[in-house]
Amino acid sequence: MLKVIAPILLLAALLVAAIASDSGGGRAALTIVERDEVRTLDPAKMTWTQDIRVARAVYEGLVRTDLSTSDLRLAPAAAEAMPDISPDGLVYTFKLRPTARWSNGEQVRASDFVYAWRRMMLPDAGADYVQMFMAIRGARSFFDQRAQDLKRFAGDASIADRGAESARLWALAMERFGSDVGLKAVDERTLRVELAEPLPYFMDYLGFVSFFPLHERSVSVHESLDAATGQRRWASDWTKPPRLVGNGPMRLVRWRFKRDMRLEANQHYWDPSLLESQSIEIRSIADANAMVNAFRMGDVDWTTDVQVPYRADMLEARAAFEREHAAKVAILARRGLDQIAIDRALPSDPRTTIHAIPSFGTYFLNMYCGPLLASGRPNPFADVRVRRAFALSVDKKEIVSEIRRNGERVAGGLVPPGSIAGYAPPTGLGFDPKRARQELAEAGFAGGKGLPPIEFLFARDGGHDLIAQSLQRNWRRELGVQIELAQVEGRVFGERVKTGKYMISRASWFGDYADPTTFLDISQSGNNNNDRRFADERYDAMLLDASRERDPAARLAQLGAAERYLIEERAPIVPLFHFTQVYLFDAHRLQGLSADVRQEQHLFRLHVPGKGR
Amino acid sequence: MIGLIVRRLVQLPVILLAIYTMTLALAWAVPGSPLDRPEGRRPSAAVREAMQRQYNLDSFARFYVSYLDSASGVRWCRESYTGAAFAAAKRATQAGLPPPTRPFFDLGPSLQYSDRRVNEIIGSALPVSMTLGAAAMLIATVLGVCAGVIAALRPRSALDSATLGLALVGVSVPSFVTGTALVLAFGVWLAWLPVGGWGTPMHLVLPAFTLSLPFAAYIARLTRMGMIEQLQSDYARTARAKGLPERTVVLRHALRNAILPVVSYVGPATAYAMTGSFVVERIFQVPGMGEHFVNAVLNKDLFLIIGTVLSFGAMLIVFNAAVDVAYRWIDPRIE
Repeated sequence: MLKVIAPILLLAALLVAAIASDSGGGRAALTIVERDEVRTLDPAKMTWTQDIRVARAVYEGLVRTDLSTSDLRLAPAAAEAMPDISPDGLVYTFKLRPTARWSNGEQVRASDFVYAWRRMMLPDAGADYVQMFMAIRGARSFFDQRAQDLKRFAGDASIADRGAESARLWALAMERFGSDVGLKAVDERTLRVELAEPLPYFMDYLGFVSFFPLHERSVSVHESLDAATGQRRWASDWTKPPRLVGNGPMRLVRWRFKRDMRLEANQHYWDPSLLESQSIEIRSIADANAMVNAFRMGDVDWTTDVQVPYRADMLEARAAFEREHAAKVAILARRGLDQIAIDRALPSDPRTTIHAIPSFGTYFLNMYCGPLLASGRPNPFADVRVRRAFALSVDKKEIVSEIRRNGERVAGGLVPPGSIAGYAPPTGLGFDPKRARQELAEAGFAGGKGLPPIEFLFARDGGHDLIAQSLQRNWRRELGVQIELAQVEGRVFGERVKTGKYMISRASWFGDYADPTTFLDISQSGNNNNDRRFADERYDAMLLDASRERDPAARLAQLGAAERYLIEERAPIVPLFHFTQVYLFDAHRLQGLSADVRQEQHLFRLHVPGKGR
Repeated sequence: MIGLIVRRLVQLPVILLAIYTMTLALAWAVPGSPLDRPEGRRPSAAVREAMQRQYNLDSFARFYVSYLDSASGVRWCRESYTGAAFAAAKRATQAGLPPPTRPFFDLGPSLQYSDRRVNEIIGSALPVSMTLGAAAMLIATVLGVCAGVIAALRPRSALDSATLGLALVGVSVPSFVTGTALVLAFGVWLAWLPVGGWGTPMHLVLPAFTLSLPFAAYIARLTRMGMIEQLQSDYARTARAKGLPERTVVLRHALRNAILPVVSYVGPATAYAMTGSFVVERIFQVPGMGEHFVNAVLNKDLFLIIGTVLSFGAMLIVFNAAVDVAYRWIDPRIE
């Protein structure tokens, strides 16, 4: 008998030992849960919220949004003060803080910024946000020339010594950068940036992760030239501990794939008082239910995204609580308190741990505007009257209150109201079936006659099917048109929208920086993200005029007019609602989260009073 | 015995090459580009083109050859020979920094998680899944064999029907039901065990048990069938006639023969359990391989798809070889 039981026990003991050896360290002062793994800590590759959130703790740009100000003003961060700007608005001179340090104790140098930004401007790095850098003088031609060089190199099989030739091209690119691009480290602490044209929101760019510096010495070690493509490459090792060197208030101590990440205080950070918690653990949990359970079991302090099917019920319970305290809520709101501050002033209640916070994104419909459909037939939506007819027969209120039930706001325009100080977005096209039918008749399709079946394209998952059904019902009822719903897999959806193989599709967009152009540029003719193939000379001219306007208020007014023209008259885009982000946290416990529309959260400001500072 | 093992080892790379070719051909045909996100900001055309070239996504032939080059270790050998690899390491050491890592079998980068190599992903996820799978198979084998033997002792008795009934439930109830029920019962209501996560032996209990149930049920049925047959055979009757105690007849004689079909099932089943279950790992937040099988395909993360399929293939081959070895050990008559 022992002969049988002994190996079983031995195996069991081995397994227990294996798992016990795989445990993490002690508990952090603060634990948060993210739905998705942090994809990258390379600022050149970031696009996801969770990546950007960690990057803002690990790195530090020249400036940073001060979340304590109501209009979200920028404040100097790695820079000592706001820059000197030349009278023509073209030259920005920054002085770095003498006390700014990397997490290895070395001083943050102007050349670290030059290194990071130059890398961003290279096609080799594959940066999604390279467009932002085109504001800098000479950057566009630097990028284009390098891209051409690489293309020629890759296509030319006759090159004998590819290693030598790729090195020559690289040296050439570096030479061009030095002579043509308006970015210089004047001395160790002085950074000079020259713009191609004045850009009123350039400072907002500088607070964004793409403009963060890199510790040149530790990153450049991972560089190599690839002889096959001629490209400069960066091995991904450098973004992981212990190799990652950052200049932010926190440093990355541990990062286990699809498990957790641990941030601790950067001992060398110039302003230790900024840091509220000495350590933060970020867990990534893929299952929506488990994310909520983890919070309910008291394991975590903040769940950053709630996607469970019963979310609407949780929000309804919260609304019931708010109704019970309606009088007090009204008084506090009138005093200008934000949602989180109001919660803090009300009695503690488990129902209030869910928070739907307005975010910097909009859910909308794309209408394909090209003259021909993918099938080669004429596109009815090339006619602006047809687009308006469809837009006017969408009942946005029903979608928000009956289908989504997330406390989202009906969208008039594309830019979420209140997200940009001084900007007034348009009211948009409302639900007006009578006018819709009239517009359709004027276009020659009275009662929907003569229109081919209209296909509405959307991706599987995410609850888009319910919205699609509501749209289908309305368009059928109000316009008499036949609507076919095309539900496809996410990747197929992306491909079809990109290549213009659709009639109407669902879409969404999130802004990146605090200027309306982050939403308005996507409708410029020829823009890379213009999936509607919308081309309108007047709209392009309006944006161009606004970009030349030097008075900020007048400029915002011009942009507002451009958005109104786009949404209300040309209607290539039909905004449905502005997203909310749903958080779980106890406002009476966790301090430091911001209710701001742009959803910028500073991890290093979070803390639970009385818990391990 | 040694000849068998050597033969299997020689077969391994050939089979893996075939698996690689087929997987790549299928994954390549998945619509869309792995560099595009379904939604959101799109990189400019020049950036996209450069990235296409960097990952060889513009040419099937180039991708095929270059992946083979790095995954087979040929590139590692070449770079070591030419000294190209040491230059980078030397630069790092001179700068006082840890040298870049350089895996021998380089399975390429993940296109979805751009900071991770496939080696890293598999290196962190596979041990977790293997631990969980081994624990599950251990439970399944002990439970299944015991249940099967008990049921076979008195065929058609109440005990037999109960065991068979339980086994039927075990096979047919999907693990997202049993898993969720167990989390609710032991995690949330009784709070005896953690609801999910990984890192302590307590984290192993619920997922391993959930994962083991379908295997245990199948093993119980296999054992029962085999035992009923063996216990009615001539040699069992002879053993009883010799006056051997029933325990010896059952455990030493009948079980030894009845276990053979179980062994041939347990081999591949272990490989299967050890490479991760999407459902169980998701419910219990186990950071294993399961989800990569599914998500890599959805994301068209070519390198990760191939990496996961190859590691599964390699494990399957190894475990099948182990089954063959075990067969010979249990029954030396088998050639």
